[in-house]
Amino acid sequence: MKVVKLHEGRSHEWLVFGRDEERPSKIIDTNQYMIKTTNHAIMLDPGGIELFSAMLAAVVHHVPVNQITHLFASHQDPDIISSLGLWDKTLPHAELHAPWLWEGFLRHFGCNSIRYNPLPDEGKSIRLDDIEIQFIPAHYMHSSGNFSVYDPQAKILMSGDIGAALLPDGAPLFVEDFDAHVEKMRLFHQRWMPSNRAKKDWVRRVRQLDIEYMAPQHGAIFKGRDVQRFLDWLDELEVGTGIGH
Amino acid sequence: MHSRSKNSAHFFINAATVAAELSEVLTEAKNISLEAMNAKALVARAGDNVRTFKPITDFMVELANDTIWLVKEINREALVLSRTSLNELHSSDANARFATAQQKASAAPHVETLDPIAKEAYNEHHQQSVQLRRHMRKLFELLDEIESRMLAANVVTATSRLEAATAADSYQASLEGIVIKLEKAANRIKHIATKCRHSLER
Repeated sequence: MKVVKLHEGRSHEWLVFGRDEERPSKIIDTNQYMIKTTNHAIMLDPGGIELFSAMLAAVVHHVPVNQITHLFASHQDPDIISSLGLWDKTLPHAELHAPWLWEGFLRHFGCNSIRYNPLPDEGKSIRLDDIEIQFIPAHYMHSSGNFSVYDPQAKILMSGDIGAALLPDGAPLFVEDFDAHVEKMRLFHQRWMPSNRAKKDWVRRVRQLDIEYMAPQHGAIFKGRDVQRFLDWLDELEVGTGIGH
Repeated sequence: MHSRSKNSAHFFINAATVAAELSEVLTEAKNISLEAMNAKALVARAGDNVRTFKPITDFMVELANDTIWLVKEINREALVLSRTSLNELHSSDANARFATAQQKASAAPHVETLDPIAKEAYNEHHQQSVQLRRHMRKLFELLDEIESRMLAANVVTATSRLEAATAADSYQASLEGIVIKLEKAANRIKHIATKCRHSLER
């Protein structure tokens, strides 16, 4: 499991975990994120059960496990959070922030000790030490109950499946050539994202944020001008193309 | 880990299958109960002609009641066993994943923070394994019990045949019919119990 520091500020760090070379060959590669503050840490989309051991091992290189007090799941997919049952044993006192819509479903992964903190449709903010973390509505992008995470201090948007790309093993962690990268995202967005209206709504919300990095759960991270280029590209893209097949 | 998981998975499927197979035993036990009622009525009607058959009908009633109770117990225990083996499978998986994480993180600065969690996972797996063995033993004991009852039933049917043969002609055919049905039901129950045992031993 590779770990890259995405941001290092006075009061907090962003880490990205991914490109696990030992993952079973038939499961999709995922990026997991952790925000570490002075006394706390939150894991964003901590990943599937098959990745759990590698993730846990990678995490304790950076924080003692009991410093992880929060988890976040952008939506209900197994590659996002099927490891929940094992995190539940690892962090029995932690809180899970996840869409209210999926509570009854996510609990099927095992959530006996962790406290489920249902995110309302309009989103909300939490504080970890001095840091504000905003949960931005991203419903139907692609899941019907879905959130992105924004950190206004670090100017990082964790966008979940939005901006995801299906890349070969060993691909770079950051987008290096946006035009070439577009072709690796097109099918994913057209087929997985169901609603043009939802897409426009999300783009409108996100355009109001000051973003330095846009960090998706699959593929490569956008930085600087590529963030705006991505938003322009997505704004124009026709999605929901599965209908009629 | 995969081969062990596969074995555990087969085991909880087999335990669930045992519970399903036993529904047939329950039907057979209810048949014995019905035949026992027929036999009782016949004995009451025939009076002294078949007086020696009375203890046999009493035995049939007892056998039917015991079998129904045993089947319910086995059924309950098989379902508990199925659930326990699934818990054991999950705890074994969790234990293995925590052990792998510890191994992978051996050089990590905070690896010691995994120790209590890995220990807890190990203990939970150990407890689940103990529970699994306990429920297995209990289920085998119940299967033993039902098999030994059916062996006793075979002895009684042999005696009953002799008694039926000496009964008055007008009752002979009916009594022999009851004995045949008892024998068939007992053999069928024994066959299913043995099958269940083999399926669990596999």
